[in-house]
Amino acid sequence: MIQILTRYCTLLTITLLVLAVMSFSLAYLFPGDTLENLTGLVPQNDVQREALERQFKLDSSVVVQFFYYLGNLLVGDWGYSFTSGLPLAEEVSIAMPATIELATYAMLMALFVGVPLGYYAGIRSYSTTDHLLNGASMTTYSFPVFWLALLLILVFSLQFDAAPLSGRISLLYDVPRVTGFILVDVLLSDLENKSLAFKDALSHIALPTLAIGAITTASMIRITRRSVIDVKHKAYIAAAVSRGLSSWQIFTRHVLRNALLPILPLMAIQITTLITNAMIVETLFSWPGIGNWLIQAIYQRDYPALRIGMMAVSTLVITLTILVDLFNRLIDPSREKYEHAAV
Amino acid sequence: MPQFSLYEEEFHPSPWQRTWAAFRSSHIAMVGLIMLGCFVIFALFAPIITPYDAVEQNIDGLLIPPSWTSNGEISHLFGTDALGRDLFTRIIYGCRITLGTAFITVVLAMLVGVSLGAFAGMLRGVRSSIANHLLDALMAIPTLLIAIIIVAILGAGLVNSMWAITLALIPQFVHHTRSFVRAEMKKDYIVASRLDGASRWQLFIHSILPNMIETLVVQGTLALSIAVIDISALGFLSLGAQSPLPELGAILADGLDAAYLAPWNVAVPGTVVFLMVLSINIVGDGLRSALRKRVSH
Repeated sequence: MIQILTRYCTLLTITLLVLAVMSFSLAYLFPGDTLENLTGLVPQNDVQREALERQFKLDSSVVVQFFYYLGNLLVGDWGYSFTSGLPLAEEVSIAMPATIELATYAMLMALFVGVPLGYYAGIRSYSTTDHLLNGASMTTYSFPVFWLALLLILVFSLQFDAAPLSGRISLLYDVPRVTGFILVDVLLSDLENKSLAFKDALSHIALPTLAIGAITTASMIRITRRSVIDVKHKAYIAAAVSRGLSSWQIFTRHVLRNALLPILPLMAIQITTLITNAMIVETLFSWPGIGNWLIQAIYQRDYPALRIGMMAVSTLVITLTILVDLFNRLIDPSREKYEHAAV
Repeated sequence: MPQFSLYEEEFHPSPWQRTWAAFRSSHIAMVGLIMLGCFVIFALFAPIITPYDAVEQNIDGLLIPPSWTSNGEISHLFGTDALGRDLFTRIIYGCRITLGTAFITVVLAMLVGVSLGAFAGMLRGVRSSIANHLLDALMAIPTLLIAIIIVAILGAGLVNSMWAITLALIPQFVHHTRSFVRAEMKKDYIVASRLDGASRWQLFIHSILPNMIETLVVQGTLALSIAVIDISALGFLSLGAQSPLPELGAILADGLDAAYLAPWNVAVPGTVVFLMVLSINIVGDGLRSALRKRVSH
C-alpha cells in the first residue's frame, strides 16, 4: 500500500516536473522576447529591462533560471497576461472551475446514463435492443463535437428558443463567486429569486453539457458493453449457470463488479477526450472556461497566457488520470501480480 | 464453418481470407466499407469528379441553394457559398485534404509509435518503469492543447496542425505496442527464438510484428477517425487549415458567417465529416469483430 502510494507520488512529481520544464522552455520557443514571454511584463526602457532580467535571473545560467521559475510557479506568481494585464493565476482560477464544472456534469451524465445502458446492452448482447443501442452509440460517437454543438444551437436556441445561446447566467443575476461552480454558487448565494436564477443557470449549462456528455456517454456505452460481454464468456459465469443461479443472481453477484474493473482505466483515457471536447464546445457557447480563454489567447498571441494555460490544463488532466489509475490499482488486486511480474 | 478434419478439407482459407469472410458476413460493416470506399475515390480522383475549381469565385451566383430545393440549380449540386464558390467541388476537395492528411498523420504516428512501443516493451527494470509511466502520463495531454502550443510556436497552418495531431496520436500506438510486446515476450515461441539466439530486433521483426499487424490495423482505423475529427476541429477553430484551403472544418467555419441565409453551408460539410467518421468507425468495428470471431473459432 505505502509502496504503491510512494510510486504514484514519485510518478506525479516527475511528470509535473517534466511539464514545468516544457512550460519553461516555451518561453524560449515562442516567438518574441524571452523576458516578455516569461513574465508578461513589457519593460519600458533599458534600465527597467536590466532590473527585470536581474530579478528573474535571466542573467544567470538556464538551470538557475528554471529553478527560479519553478519557485515562482509553486508560490503562485505566474506572471501577467499581455492582453488584460491581470495576474495569470487570477485569470486561470476564474476560467478553470467553469471548465471543470462543465466536464463534471458531462462525466456524471456518462456515468449515470452510459454505464447502465452499457450493462443493459451487454446483458442482452446480440439482441435487437443491443443492436439499436450499439448503433445509436456508434452514431453519436462519430459526431464531430463542434458540429453537434452547432446543431444543438440551431435546433434548441434558434428554432425552438428553448435555451440561451451563450454565457453562464443571465446578466440580471449578480452571483458572488465562491466555488466557481455556477450552480453551486447560485445555491450558496442569498439572491431574492434564487430559484429563478438557478433555472436560468441550468438552462445555460444544459446545451453545452449535452453536447459534451452525449459523446462521452456513447463511448461509455461501448466500453461497458464490451466489458460485460467479455465477463459473460468467462468460465466462472458458466460455473454459476451450471450451479443453477438465476440470471439476475449471476448479474448482481458475478457480472456487475467484475465488469466494472476494466472500465476504470478506460475511463481515465476518456478524461482527456472530455476536456478536449469541453474546450472546443466552450468556444461555441462563449462559456468563460479555460478552453475559450486559451483559444482567445492564441488568437491574440498572448504567450504568457498560453504557457500557463498549457501548464494548468495538463496538470489537471494528468493529476486526474493518475488518481483514477491509483484508485484502480488500489481496488483491483489482480493488477498487483501483473505489475510485479512486468516491472 | 465446422472443419471435421483439417486434412480432408479441399480449401484452406488463409487467416486474411477468414477475416474477410467474417467481415463480409456483416452487412453494416460492408455498407461502411462502401461508404469509406466512396470517400477514398473522392479523395483520389477529386480533380476528375469536380466540375469547377475549388477556389474559383463566381460573383453572379452567390449563395445559390442546393439543387434539391425549388430555387436550386443542377449546375451547383450543393449550392454555392457566400463567395460564389461551388460547394460540391469544395466538399470533394475537402474529402481529399481532410482524409488524406488524416491518413498521413496516422501512418507517421504508427511508425514512430510502434518503434517506441517495441523499444519500451523490451526494456526491463527501472528504465522500463520510468519510460512506461512517463509515457502513460504524457499521453493524457489533450490534442487541442498540443495543437495550440505548436500553432503558437510555428504559426497556424495545415502542416503544423498535422504535426500536432501526429504527436497526440503517437502515445496510443506506443501504449498498444508496448503491452502487446510485453505480453508476447513471455510466450513460448519467443523463448524458443531467443534460445536460437535471435536478437531483440530479429525477435520483433520476425516473431512479434507479424502477429501484431492485424490489431495494428484496427488501432489505425480508430486513430484515423480521431485524426479526421481533430483535423476538422482545428480547421474549424482556424488553428489548422486556413480559410481559402478547402478543408472540411474550414469550409464549415466559412459557412458559419452566412449560417442564417445559407444553412446548407453549415449542414453539408458537417454531414460529410460525420459520415466520414461514421464509415471509418463502422469499418474499424467490423474489422475488430471479424478478428475476434476468427480468433474465437
